[in-house]
Amino acid sequence: MATTLRLYLTCIRNTLEAAMCLQNFPCQEVERHNKPEVELKTSSELLLNPILICRNESEKCLIETSINSLRISLKVKQTDELENILTKKFLRFLSMRAEAFQVLRRKPVQGYDISFLITNYHCEDMQKQKLIDFIVQFMEDIDKEISELKMSVNTRGRLVATEFLKQFI
Amino acid sequence: MACFQRASPALKEILLKLYSLEKPTEIEHHLHEYGSVQYHIQSSVPDPQHIYLSIATPLLSQGDLLSDGLSPYTVEMVKQICSHAIEIIEPAKEGYELTLRINSAKILHGEESEKIITDIAAVQAVIISSRLKEVLRNVNSPTLFQGISRPIKLVYHPREPFFVVKQPQKILIIYPIRFKEDTDVIIATAFFRELMDVGSSEKWSKAPPCCWSPIPPPELRGEPLEELSTNGGFVTFDISLHHVEGKRLDNTVWSLLNFNAYVKYHVKTTRGFIQRRMRRRLEGLVEILHQKSSDVAVLNKGQGIKYMKKLVARTKRIKQKCRSLSRKIKRIRFRIKIPGFARFRRRWLKFPKFSSSIQYTRLKCSD
Repeated sequence: MATTLRLYLTCIRNTLEAAMCLQNFPCQEVERHNKPEVELKTSSELLLNPILICRNESEKCLIETSINSLRISLKVKQTDELENILTKKFLRFLSMRAEAFQVLRRKPVQGYDISFLITNYHCEDMQKQKLIDFIVQFMEDIDKEISELKMSVNTRGRLVATEFLKQFI
Repeated sequence: MACFQRASPALKEILLKLYSLEKPTEIEHHLHEYGSVQYHIQSSVPDPQHIYLSIATPLLSQGDLLSDGLSPYTVEMVKQICSHAIEIIEPAKEGYELTLRINSAKILHGEESEKIITDIAAVQAVIISSRLKEVLRNVNSPTLFQGISRPIKLVYHPREPFFVVKQPQKILIIYPIRFKEDTDVIIATAFFRELMDVGSSEKWSKAPPCCWSPIPPPELRGEPLEELSTNGGFVTFDISLHHVEGKRLDNTVWSLLNFNAYVKYHVKTTRGFIQRRMRRRLEGLVEILHQKSSDVAVLNKGQGIKYMKKLVARTKRIKQKCRSLSRKIKRIRFRIKIPGFARFRRRWLKFPKFSSSIQYTRLKCSD
């Protein structure tokens, strides 16, 4: 793993460890309701300052925290057109199957490619450390997968091109 | 538009079925293939030996290049398919360019028959190839073109025309590339880059050089704007004379005819490949998450069991202690008996009753 990527992921891990101290907190506006405050943003006293961690202009992570929920939004690097469509296709594919992940948001926050929403209930069901591990591993895997996909598409193209040119010889 | 297989699978199936029929039957089929090729197959009871096959192929080119109907070269190529079993009917059936009479009695039985029928089913490929072959052969003739590098537009499919441009030492084949979706354009562009890269290497020096550009090449200057507006750019092949000489002509023509279909097929399969890979990756990612949550569940479950065991052990110990204490009390109470002690206790060891200041005392009312 590149040093910059390791530092970027370590920074996100540490921030998540600090930010993920969630507790059950009922809605202050509606009685007998319990909603993620980071989504509603109705009471400013329940929200913490959002943290933006940037590796470069095209890769960044926004962590928004509230008393009972945490929202993590990721922007994945897209250096060229092919990476751009592969990232879009892959992340859309994952978002459409968000129910399989429990913590994945169906629609990403504006300006980002994918978003996670972790509530206090998720922290109760799953261990906090494991959740952080999952998020960090997800980020690593997405980068790796996009690079591999791009390479595979180019390799396929090269093989097909070779087969086409073979017909002339 | 051509397809990779020269023989039409549907036509081959129908011809084989007709050939293997024992009883003469009345059959009439109309087929449309690839949106531009039409077939009409007819077999009648009074004339069971003969099958009539009519074909209509798309217009190849601008009207000034080729006249209506088939050229003598094409007719010659068709006759070479299976001269003893097929006969060209003049004039062709109305609405079709060519009508063939197939004499099924003259087709040999056994494995040979299937080969002959496959050849007959490839008649449209022969017509289309011969037309392009003719263009490539006539491209040297100065009388055919008014200008030396005037592009000839060839249309095998209404949406996929391509251009042939004659140049002093070579022939340029230019394909305008159009796709409906942006994703397809990007995948195709990646393929064209690889094609250029591979074609420019020394190993493939015998293959025709290929060039892709997002803007129209200068050879197409003067063509109508709608012909030059594409989203996938333009692919140009430089066909030298040695690519169209002798036996190579057939392969070169077929490859050039199939280029659009080839690219579209590659794009389609690449999309499928991406989808398959994404699905596999999703399963892997979900597995990681589920593994983690199951670990947690096992961990919690283990902790719970330990806690309960501890609790049960503690209550057992407490119960045992209680039991031993109660036994001791019983022993104290019942085993040692002092006669007259109970009366003594009632008389002298009686606790006095204290009345609370808060409580009310009932007053006796005197009469």
